[in-house]
Amino acid sequence: MSRNATQRNPISRRGFLAGGALLGSTLLSDELFADERRGSGDSAILNSSRPDTPYELVQADHHIQSACLQCNTGCGIRCKLQNGIVTKIDGNPYSPWTMVPHLPFNTHVDDAAPVDGALCPKGQAGLQTAYDPYRLRKVLKRAGKRGENKWVSIPFEQATREICEGGNLFSGVPGEQNRQVEGLRSLVALRDAKVAKEMEADVKGILDEKDRTKKQALVEAFKVKHAQHLHLLIDPDHPDFGPKNNQIVCAWGRLKDGRGDFYKRFAAALGTTNAHGHTTVCQGSLYFTCKAISEQYAEGKFTGGQKFYWQADTENSRFILFVGANLFEANYGPPNRSVRLTENLVTGRTKIAVADPRFSKLASKAWKWLPLKPGSDAPVALAMIRWILEEKRFDAKFLATANKAAAAASGENSWCNATWLVVIKDGKPGKLLRAADLKIDGQPLRTAEKRPTADGKEYDEKFMVVMVNGVPTAVDPNDATTPVVADLFVDTTLADGTVVKSGLQVLLESAREHTTAEWAAMADVKESDIVAVARELTSYGKAVAVDIHRGPAQHTNGFYNVLCWMSLNMLLGNFDAKGGLIKASTYDTKGKGKGNLFDITAHPGAVKAFGISSIRHGLDYEKTTLFSGYPAKRNWYPLSSDIYEEIIPSIGDAYPYPVKCLFMYMGAPTYALPAGHTNIEVLCDVNKLPLFIASDILIGSTSMYADYIFPDLSFLERWEFQGSHPNIPNKVQPVRQPVIAPIPEECTVYGQAMPMSLEAMILAIAEQLSLPGFGENGFAEDRHLKHPDDLFLRGVANIAFGEKPDGSAAVADADDREVEIFMNARRHLPRSVFDAQRWRGIVGESMWRKVVYVLNRGGRYEEHEKGYKGDRVAHPYAALLNLYQEKTASTIHSGTGKNLSGVACYVPVCDFVGKEPDELRTGYGLALITHRVISQTKSRTIADPWLSALLPENGVLINPRDAERLALRNGQEVKVVSATNSTGNWPLGNGVEKPMIGRIVLTQTMRPGVVSFALGFGHWATGASDVTIDGHVIRGEKRRQAGIHANAAMWTDPVVKNTCMFDPVGGSVSFYDTHVRLEPVGGAGAKASALP
Amino acid sequence: MMTASANETKHEPDSEIGGLTRREAVRAGVLMGVSVAAAGTAVSLHRRAAVTGDPIGEGTVRHLTVLANVPPTLNDDVLIRMQRELVKAMAKPVEQRRWIMVIDTRKCVGCHACTIACVAENHLPPGVVYRPVVTEEFGEFPNVQLRFTPRPCMQCDKPPCVPVCPVAATWKRPDGIVTIDYDKCIGCRYCLAACPYGARTSDFGEDYLAGAAEGAPTDGQGALRGAPAAWAEQPSHEYGKSWTREGHQSPMGNARKCHFCLHRLEVGQLPQCTTTCIGRATYFGDANDPDSLVTELITRNNVQTLLPHKGTQPRVFYIV
Repeated sequence: MSRNATQRNPISRRGFLAGGALLGSTLLSDELFADERRGSGDSAILNSSRPDTPYELVQADHHIQSACLQCNTGCGIRCKLQNGIVTKIDGNPYSPWTMVPHLPFNTHVDDAAPVDGALCPKGQAGLQTAYDPYRLRKVLKRAGKRGENKWVSIPFEQATREICEGGNLFSGVPGEQNRQVEGLRSLVALRDAKVAKEMEADVKGILDEKDRTKKQALVEAFKVKHAQHLHLLIDPDHPDFGPKNNQIVCAWGRLKDGRGDFYKRFAAALGTTNAHGHTTVCQGSLYFTCKAISEQYAEGKFTGGQKFYWQADTENSRFILFVGANLFEANYGPPNRSVRLTENLVTGRTKIAVADPRFSKLASKAWKWLPLKPGSDAPVALAMIRWILEEKRFDAKFLATANKAAAAASGENSWCNATWLVVIKDGKPGKLLRAADLKIDGQPLRTAEKRPTADGKEYDEKFMVVMVNGVPTAVDPNDATTPVVADLFVDTTLADGTVVKSGLQVLLESAREHTTAEWAAMADVKESDIVAVARELTSYGKAVAVDIHRGPAQHTNGFYNVLCWMSLNMLLGNFDAKGGLIKASTYDTKGKGKGNLFDITAHPGAVKAFGISSIRHGLDYEKTTLFSGYPAKRNWYPLSSDIYEEIIPSIGDAYPYPVKCLFMYMGAPTYALPAGHTNIEVLCDVNKLPLFIASDILIGSTSMYADYIFPDLSFLERWEFQGSHPNIPNKVQPVRQPVIAPIPEECTVYGQAMPMSLEAMILAIAEQLSLPGFGENGFAEDRHLKHPDDLFLRGVANIAFGEKPDGSAAVADADDREVEIFMNARRHLPRSVFDAQRWRGIVGESMWRKVVYVLNRGGRYEEHEKGYKGDRVAHPYAALLNLYQEKTASTIHSGTGKNLSGVACYVPVCDFVGKEPDELRTGYGLALITHRVISQTKSRTIADPWLSALLPENGVLINPRDAERLALRNGQEVKVVSATNSTGNWPLGNGVEKPMIGRIVLTQTMRPGVVSFALGFGHWATGASDVTIDGHVIRGEKRRQAGIHANAAMWTDPVVKNTCMFDPVGGSVSFYDTHVRLEPVGGAGAKASALP
Repeated sequence: MMTASANETKHEPDSEIGGLTRREAVRAGVLMGVSVAAAGTAVSLHRRAAVTGDPIGEGTVRHLTVLANVPPTLNDDVLIRMQRELVKAMAKPVEQRRWIMVIDTRKCVGCHACTIACVAENHLPPGVVYRPVVTEEFGEFPNVQLRFTPRPCMQCDKPPCVPVCPVAATWKRPDGIVTIDYDKCIGCRYCLAACPYGARTSDFGEDYLAGAAEGAPTDGQGALRGAPAAWAEQPSHEYGKSWTREGHQSPMGNARKCHFCLHRLEVGQLPQCTTTCIGRATYFGDANDPDSLVTELITRNNVQTLLPHKGTQPRVFYIV
């Protein structure tokens, strides 16, 4: 800390004393303040018989800065404490989410204390989530059938022991008297790292063998070689299934870094390859299309694509087309993006257009609204692409930069492969042409070069080919010294007879499949509006963007919808530009390779996991021993991961293999997924899933089906590293930290007291099973992992240290006053959570004050102005963008057996085998979509009564034109039915059903023919239903049942049957493709739900 | 606690209003309130304003150090600019401050952050809202539009709610904020009826958590938390005093309304609705300061007040 307290203006006495609740009671302070208040007296504001009391919420000593998790925007929050209780949450002014520009990071905490940032209503209601009366304090064990909601509370140690050792665990449950449950100890079969390594290498050999006969021979050879260890495998005839350890699946809903490190470490220690998240229920295809776009050409192949995406630099854009994004209510936007937009809209500096079948709050501020038909993103985008290409309004200079050097020479950070030549075979674009393969006069255009790989081997670099003024020219994509600027549109036959086109040409032809008028008609949007928006997009240089979110992504054609919009961005040349498309940037928490700091990824003794994942991702179907032609039994996902809709349904089909134990952390797939009821059917079947363990803060809509629920800490009690979003230009790392005393009981693991939590559960299982990487020397010699703080505080120390090995990027030291504030603000926390001496011991003396400095500010935040360098962003993507995707084009759709398209194109909504669902539409005339309101986040915010007050129940939004046609009136109750759920009921298991009934809301904001409901209502758990614990009935709160959740009306895939429809490429669930009918509900009693 | 007499002595020098001591003035006010109820409102509107018992003069000057150590920049968040201007205004005696609010409806994104910020800050129970946001839809597809109108108390210069109070529990302060003394309010609701803006609501003592987790052990030792909400048991800070919701104590049973978060202004903080506005649509400041943002804004030609024909002279302005 460079500045000392004396340089600062002293805090006024009144202020200082008001903050120092340490001084004691108000009685005492009244005496002390008597003099201070002379003049304003006992009645500074209001003369009355009631004495004044100090406003302690303004004082730093009553604040803990943290990060919100009421949704995943992760705004910086300031939690204000009264007597150790959070009574008010505001925005953290150090965070760029809640103030623009945010306060400089070096602002003293006392000086920042009176400055509050802005925060959305959900964030402010977060304290109600934490103090919810339904919060769990003890471990619950199932005492009835799965989902019956009969429980007993059991000691933490008993739960751990039972899960690890197995046995006749549910002898008291009818039907399970004799059921033996296999415990984790038996499932963690393969523990020998050497055996695992050898098996992994041999399995790789099997997968890489293309000839099926030879592949089978390799399997036989495997069985001979590993004869002694075959009992460790799931199925010796399919060594590629991997070891039995893979029959443990660790799944999660919302998991952020830190906790993610813990949970993934747990999976690694268990030796399972199955650690799967929820991405595809959010906007998976947005992530995985951008992953495909960001694959880098390295060592002769495309690899290293990032699971991420770009958003507009909201603050500096001149024109933004928002597609299926409503950032005033969701989409990682409300506090951070609204503020960056509204003033610019009012002054006319920024103009926006919104494409959405529903007129959102965002649309209410738009210059133009394109009310497109759901799923018709590609037609609108391709119409714009066609117009922009034909009118030559694209950024030709950017598109022509064929390599890194060319990008640098033209002031760009990134470059695009639009000019690279694609080989056309049988009229179809396939692989990119390699210079070493192109023979001119018998000589290769450029001879292949031997180059070293990262792991010390060699590979043949064969180079790409572009046309430069009509002459084929080899290009080294990563060459930083020799710029290659190439021809944009190429359609020719080379001297050796190879037919080639440039990627941009391939895109043009895709866009020319229809005229702009035809495209417009397909989306039912005015052609003139499409052209007007395209004109605006190409009128402000690089300070423009197409900013997309769930809307385009959550369709069966999500991948290509996203690719169309992102290709349009490439034509605009707006990547890394101020006002263009930007990406997130964060301070590292992991400490890998930071010299003497903490590597929290170090995992001594871990056994390398291998084998096909339970959701069949990251691997081509054709490579596996399961290959048996098309369609596969279920879809394979070589280009994506975290396929949420496959985790439980795949268990139901035991494909690729049976699963014995499922962990679910902070996930509610039964509620959140389209056709979520398909998951309930599997979860209720103890034969399909023998052991199901949940970590939850309450009995939730999925954890209610578990065998054991471990109580977890809410976001106000735990640690996490929230990370950032692509709309934040600054480098940041918000830190979530313990704010209130834990609600769950304490437990003891590795001899340490700690609150029950996800981490405690993991540590206890690790202790019971002696798993590597936990406990004594868990990270390294003398670096233990016995308490959650051992990981999280070291992560904070890494943030504080920064990324320069010499420590020159470290934050300042907290001064004495800041340390005092730090201690005062945490005086209500039990020692098992906050113990200054213990904390200090973990991070060491040299880092302690830096850690305090970061925690006092709720994370680390770069100064606002450092987000840019001139007209470029300071943290650019700065890499190759694949307008044409060779890797995608080489991938085969496991449902159809056909190669995927490598370029943006229109794909209709289809089922798994590529059939359009016309039969499902027949008789169901309304397209169903969903939307988000600011007051709810899917499954987790219904606990908060303040939010219910804003919108007590959602309804079925419909245009009056449709309502008139269907004779429906405002407020009338209707049931939502579809071809795959003709009863309109949500089966909750054990014969209980919740009818999907909601009230009609007439509104002109809906496109005729489309109906919508807001997510977050219509609960059956999460405090909505009665539960029996230890023989006592605890009543559900009726308020939480209100409204409708119609996900179970969304189509199940007609081929796969036990999951929703999905995007076979990007993995997204289909949220917006279903067609439904609204059936009026007769009689007053019809709404009475079957819920207890 | 200090005694009433000590209090009296201490404040006498600062409490003179038009030659009356504060105590006399308050008494006069009480009496007048009674007579007003009998005599009608027209006369009292004028006379009441002159005789509040609020502290004024030098004693109300606040030399706050808020933001003193944060160097200004040319592109500060308007929240920072307004907070600096607030600190400046607080350095003047209360009677020289003229608080106004300006709401730019073009920037309001209808998020209700202000509504909930206010509910949380002032511990408002179900049914009590100081800062609703009205959403209106008009037009016909595809030519449809949404409008959002936050609607706090207008802090009228001619407040119709004041003269109807039979016990003089509500009055207009020297800085323009219309105040309620909950300890005086008898909950008759005349003021609710008098307000053309519906800005006042009654506190019926309701509880947001009524009906939750019935049957759960409340000793805090059960498998579920069960216990009443910890946040709801803590006192609130309205008017710089302490209000705990227990029994039938004030403010339960009273009329309630927006007070521009007087208790926050006192320590140099903006009203909650202003500070938490994610679209920065709400502005707050001192209209007596020619350099303030609000003064700048209300001189524009697209500024309106609500129901101007009622003659209430609102201090909340709307940019449309």
